[in-house]
Amino acid sequence: MLEARMPQGAILRKCIDAIKDLVTDGNFDCNDSGIALQAMDNSHVALVNLFLRASGFDPYRCDRNLTLGVNLGGFSKVLKCMGNDDVVTVKAEDDGDTVSLTFESKDGGRVSEFELKLVDIDSEHLGIPDTNYDAIVSMPASEFQRICRDLSVLGESVIIDVSKDGVKFSASGESGTGSITVKQGASVDKESEGTTINLNSAVQLTFSLKYLQNFSKATALADQVTLSLSADVPLLVEYTIGEVGYVRYYLAPKIGDEN
Amino acid sequence: MGIQGLSKVIGDHAPDAMRENEIKNFFGRKVAIDASMSIYQFMIAVRGQDGMQLTNEAGETTSHLMGIFYRTIRMVESGIKPCYVFDGKPPTLKSGELAKRQERRAEAEKEAATAQEAGDTENFDKFSRRTVKVTRAHNEECKRLLKLMGIPFMDAPCEAEAQCAALCKAGKVFAAGSEDMDTLTFGSPILVRHLTFSEQRKIPVAEIHLDKALAGLGMTTDQFIDLCILLGCDYCESIKGIGPAKAYELVKKHGTIEEVLKHIDTKKYAVPADWPFAEARRLFKTPDVTDPESVELKWEDPDEDGIVEFLVKDKGFNEERIRNAVKKLQKQRGQATQGRLDTFFTVKPKEGSASKKDTASKKSKPSGKKK
Repeated sequence: MLEARMPQGAILRKCIDAIKDLVTDGNFDCNDSGIALQAMDNSHVALVNLFLRASGFDPYRCDRNLTLGVNLGGFSKVLKCMGNDDVVTVKAEDDGDTVSLTFESKDGGRVSEFELKLVDIDSEHLGIPDTNYDAIVSMPASEFQRICRDLSVLGESVIIDVSKDGVKFSASGESGTGSITVKQGASVDKESEGTTINLNSAVQLTFSLKYLQNFSKATALADQVTLSLSADVPLLVEYTIGEVGYVRYYLAPKIGDEN
Repeated sequence: MGIQGLSKVIGDHAPDAMRENEIKNFFGRKVAIDASMSIYQFMIAVRGQDGMQLTNEAGETTSHLMGIFYRTIRMVESGIKPCYVFDGKPPTLKSGELAKRQERRAEAEKEAATAQEAGDTENFDKFSRRTVKVTRAHNEECKRLLKLMGIPFMDAPCEAEAQCAALCKAGKVFAAGSEDMDTLTFGSPILVRHLTFSEQRKIPVAEIHLDKALAGLGMTTDQFIDLCILLGCDYCESIKGIGPAKAYELVKKHGTIEEVLKHIDTKKYAVPADWPFAEARRLFKTPDVTDPESVELKWEDPDEDGIVEFLVKDKGFNEERIRNAVKKLQKQRGQATQGRLDTFFTVKPKEGSASKKDTASKKSKPSGKKK
């Protein structure tokens, strides 16, 4: 069986909120190292990989590997019933067809219990190769979210151009063009607000803004976002959730038409 | 038309082989479309409010052009790259089937005429739709339009479905687009149906995977072809009294039609005399197709003035609408296409997971997959 107690229950809620609009159903693979979810969106353009380490829970117990298929929309609605400082406990029997969720308020004054039906999901699991990315950009998550939102008024896609000076995001559409450049180390006081660029070679790739906007829903989970790019491979957008785990998104680039 | 009851057999025994999808999820995919079948559909379905086919001032039918033009644009707008395959000479074995169709058409014509005389609009509508015949001229007009639109097309030496299947097998296109289930019998790895249906009908595009169908049915390709022949194809008669369930059972049990014939009670099931099933089987296995490697599919810029000249001046379409539609075509050109993750990442084989539901579903499905 699985029993996992998360002192900061809000993290779980934010995680599910960050992926529920991208994928409708997902399999949570639980084993002794933690809880992982990998799922692709319907059109197989984007993939989300959520991982919550066993050490992020207290306590964490998983005797046998378990796969819990969950409708994320329903899961998210249940998690909305949780108080901000609640402690959440997830439990599932080995042969059960539900997963149970318990929310306890900090002072123990209120306990809510929910049971969520499991669903049978036939999803393909993708093997993601290790990639040495040409460019790795760390920047404030809120800044990235804003850029995606701002540029989406202009067009459907954004060209991300990483050079040693900075990262340039540009979009164009019927009404006009626009670009936003973020320079390296632009932080003033706090380290978490700075931008760092690790560059092997300059890259320029085009991505769908709709998906990036969707990814940036994870902004609530982390101060910084890391974008990893290489020519002609999917973009990796990573949000690290402190010591608890991470949410990684992969997005296939848009490719110029060859004929 | 196609294989009788095949979609039901696949649906019953291999439900995961069929997947419904929105048309927009096919972006970036190249699809080979059985043109002759689509044109036929358009001529039946694309009608004015009076139920008559659309015509220009001279009274020539334009339903097929309307259909090809707008439905192609709809596909292109969704990011699909369509190419059309036209029927060539029908195989001799099909002559029986064709004669039957001819007969039915003649009958429908008579019925339509009586209904018209009697002023019975409902029946007239019903029967006039059955009198539809695609002529060489219709095909030529469609080709001319496609050429102007910059959409590639080709003539199959024989059956268009077979050529679509060959293109798909060779990886030239992602899928074969046809309503005919025999596209699968011709060995198309993926068949998409309902692709050229009207948007208003809100019918999702159905994607059928041959490998999953075979795995679900627990059959080899040869057995699958035999199953299709027993179900009833265009090339020979089927055995009276053997329906989908029986056909599936027989092929599962005996493997080939030869063995089936040895074991069934020929008194109960009348096998047609000189049944040319072996010949039909040969047609499915080695159909007459152009080598897909020699086929080059090239999408080009549409010729706006050419289209206007043809559709507006010759065929009486509305110029403004046509120009707007061509704009949509042009817009899609030169736009970067969205890539897919499965082209970058490899799909991992399924591991046996410990979930209860998984084991339960495995039990209920006999997996006699043979390669």
